[in-house]
Amino acid sequence: MTHRYGIFTGGIDIPDEKQATLDEPIRAVSEIEVLRVPLAPCGGAAAEAVVEPGQSVRAGERLARAGQDGVDVFAPLAGQVRDVVSVVTAIGRQLMRMPAIELTELSGCREIPDGEETFDWIHADAEELRRRIDESHLVTQRRRPLPLTRWVQRAHRAACEVFVVNAVESQPYITADHRLLVEHGEEVMRGVSILARAVGARRCILAVDQRRTRDYDPLLAPAEYYEVEHAALPPKYPIGSDHILLKVLTRREVPCGGNTLDIGAAVIDPASCFAAYHWVARGRRLGGRLVTISGEHVTRPANLFVPFGTDARSLLPTSPPPYVMGGPMVGTLCEGDAVTGPAVNALLAIDPTPTGSASQCIRCGWCRDHCPTRLNVAVLNDLYELSRVESAELLGALSCVECGVCSYVCPARLPLTRRVRELKRAIRRLRHTPAPRREGEPHHHPETT
Amino acid sequence: MPATPETTSRQYAQPVVNAAEAPLIRAPEKIQSVYTVTTIAACLPMAAGWLYFGYHAILVSLLSVASCVAIEWGYFRVTHSPALLGRAHAYLTGVLLALTLPPFTPWYVVILAAAFAILVGKAVFGGVGHFLWQPALVGRFAVAVILPVLAQLTPAGSDQKQVTLTPTHWPVLSRDHLLLGDLDNVAQDRLVAYRGWRSRQASPGTEGFAMQHPAETLAPLSRGEEPAYSALAHPRQDLPNSKPAALTLLPPIGDLLFGARPGGIGETCAAMILVAGIYLVYRNYVKWQLPLAFLASAAVVAAVAPVQLAGPNQTVEWMWFPVFAEGLDVGFTYVCYQVLSGALLLSAFFLATEMTSSPVTTGGQVIFGVAGGWIAMGLQLYFETAIPAYLAVLAMNTLTPTIDAIWLPRVFGQKHFEWLRIPFRGKPTKE
Repeated sequence: MTHRYGIFTGGIDIPDEKQATLDEPIRAVSEIEVLRVPLAPCGGAAAEAVVEPGQSVRAGERLARAGQDGVDVFAPLAGQVRDVVSVVTAIGRQLMRMPAIELTELSGCREIPDGEETFDWIHADAEELRRRIDESHLVTQRRRPLPLTRWVQRAHRAACEVFVVNAVESQPYITADHRLLVEHGEEVMRGVSILARAVGARRCILAVDQRRTRDYDPLLAPAEYYEVEHAALPPKYPIGSDHILLKVLTRREVPCGGNTLDIGAAVIDPASCFAAYHWVARGRRLGGRLVTISGEHVTRPANLFVPFGTDARSLLPTSPPPYVMGGPMVGTLCEGDAVTGPAVNALLAIDPTPTGSASQCIRCGWCRDHCPTRLNVAVLNDLYELSRVESAELLGALSCVECGVCSYVCPARLPLTRRVRELKRAIRRLRHTPAPRREGEPHHHPETT
Repeated sequence: MPATPETTSRQYAQPVVNAAEAPLIRAPEKIQSVYTVTTIAACLPMAAGWLYFGYHAILVSLLSVASCVAIEWGYFRVTHSPALLGRAHAYLTGVLLALTLPPFTPWYVVILAAAFAILVGKAVFGGVGHFLWQPALVGRFAVAVILPVLAQLTPAGSDQKQVTLTPTHWPVLSRDHLLLGDLDNVAQDRLVAYRGWRSRQASPGTEGFAMQHPAETLAPLSRGEEPAYSALAHPRQDLPNSKPAALTLLPPIGDLLFGARPGGIGETCAAMILVAGIYLVYRNYVKWQLPLAFLASAAVVAAVAPVQLAGPNQTVEWMWFPVFAEGLDVGFTYVCYQVLSGALLLSAFFLATEMTSSPVTTGGQVIFGVAGGWIAMGLQLYFETAIPAYLAVLAMNTLTPTIDAIWLPRVFGQKHFEWLRIPFRGKPTKE
């Protein structure tokens, strides 16, 4: 942790509330009886089921086959197929309804699987690694997931120089990536090495929160071995946003309306690296991910390894819905029947701040002062109310990273983030550029962790 | 969605429409709390005004607040405009209006000012968040224009006074009659030889002093018909008719800092205004750049702008850089008097910083402050107006939309500094 980095203008200090789960070891989830595995983990077209109701499946058996643009879905645990149902899960900033396969009479190991390495990934070349990732049917475990193979292909094609692992969880409550780095840090490092070589990046940076560097001391040796630089960054929200993180790390700004590949940087999260390592080196698909279970109403907050398709109610049995899926700053509110997927890194039982009805803007300028991209959100709000889309484009509305800071600080409780997002959508429609596709183009949707 | 035969049966993920929006947590500050805290902060200089001007000031303040709230309530009952819902800003307007009024204002003037502040300043524009000019200043400006005698109004019941006051002589309670004294019973003996407010007691039968407004004392330096003073502080030896200098006639600077000087109810106590203003800056309700730019710009103008001097043979000389004229110590004192003698501090911390009528960006606020301070000091030095600082703030409020339109700092990811791009152009896009 030798490098010192600057900080961005704007941003806020939010109460971080991570203490409850920071030092809790990862647990396996035990109380679940039924899984509803979503068939479109990246959104878009759902995979088609290849199993019949009543059929018994083993853990890791193929449940559904996707077309060209999706990923196949595999059984997280062994069980019996009951039916194809419809479920709700969070993808990006919204809840999506999609078909799912319901599994009952579950059995099998619910912990993070351990095992020997079966593939010599250290001596494999990049082409071989990419071929192996092509077969993985993994998805990146970000807010807006993308098939891992597509992500790797795109980053490889863009010839990106910097490979950044975004482990800065700047949202409150969430510690999933932190616990993963603490308990499975070396595996994550190997995953980083695999993906960085598959992408062809020359420089590889692991960005972490500077308050937790002591916890990551055991990672120093593997990081040096796999040539991963460490960057310890101050905890100011939204430093976990990809664009802002890259600005701090590389002093380069993603152009207005562009994505991180435009400045030659690929950003991914530790959980995807972990899953990639498990598949490439050990030949296992992880059928779940770490989910932070926390909040004011939770009796035993912890990070659980949760199979995909677990419903929220069985993870939070003691607290009543609604729950917050994803962090409180960029997540959504869901009911008890919503299920986890690759995009869900936290499930929180917290009371959302009652906003009441929004009043009018008093032009206090706090949104502008705290905006990490220095957008004049007060003027954009006027433009939204006047439907002046061209003017919004001139003011750089496409630079918005949708971190939610403007809505957070607004004393009038205006839904500024949503309004700017709608302006961005209107700008694209006006330019006749294709709208961001459901299955998760990262192009116009900057991530915030 | 492709409609080829093999994909028609395919199901797609569909967004759930009415899901709650992120972020789900919000900062605790609300509009109402912003206005309430600002009102409480504005009560500090008002309390100081009560102390020095007695129950007249209390009556004017209460009447101002009550009539503002009542008029806004009445207007809301008529129009049901949602932007007038909530009384927090009406209280704030009432308090700010009271701060700007002289303590001996008659009751009908206060009600007239409140009516203008609420109806013209706010309601015409559509209420909180939409007005162009700071409403309290609209009220103050209206009564200053409609009743030009206001600046010359003498305390009510002037027939009972022991001394007839001249228009530029305003009352201040003496130190043994604070808060409960009566501004009607004032003596003029303070004018003869100024020894400081603290060291003097009112003569028997009187409760206060009639003092010349410090701005009026300074005025002949820069805008007298004929130059009254030979220099800032010291009579010039080479001129036989050299008169006593301005600075020796002024109250001691302590009186200006703590408020024992004539002026509006909230204008006089610089210390209280600073305390309240710094608290507002600490709470982030006021950006420090605006008051600092306003005061610094006014101070620079006072330090640079020329003053009149009597030259030999009844000629008038204009002397630039008065701050250097008789040494930096005299110049510094002169600048401090110019800044403290009017309503500059109150304008800088409470009136110019009204969120709605000042620019959004910090850079725009600096422009606003610099230009506002320049205009305010220019008016105070060279034009005979009762409310120079308020006029400056109103003028800059008029320019606020322009400043917001031309000062557009570079957005993340944009290549150039976006200068002079007018945002409201083109036609509305039909959605």
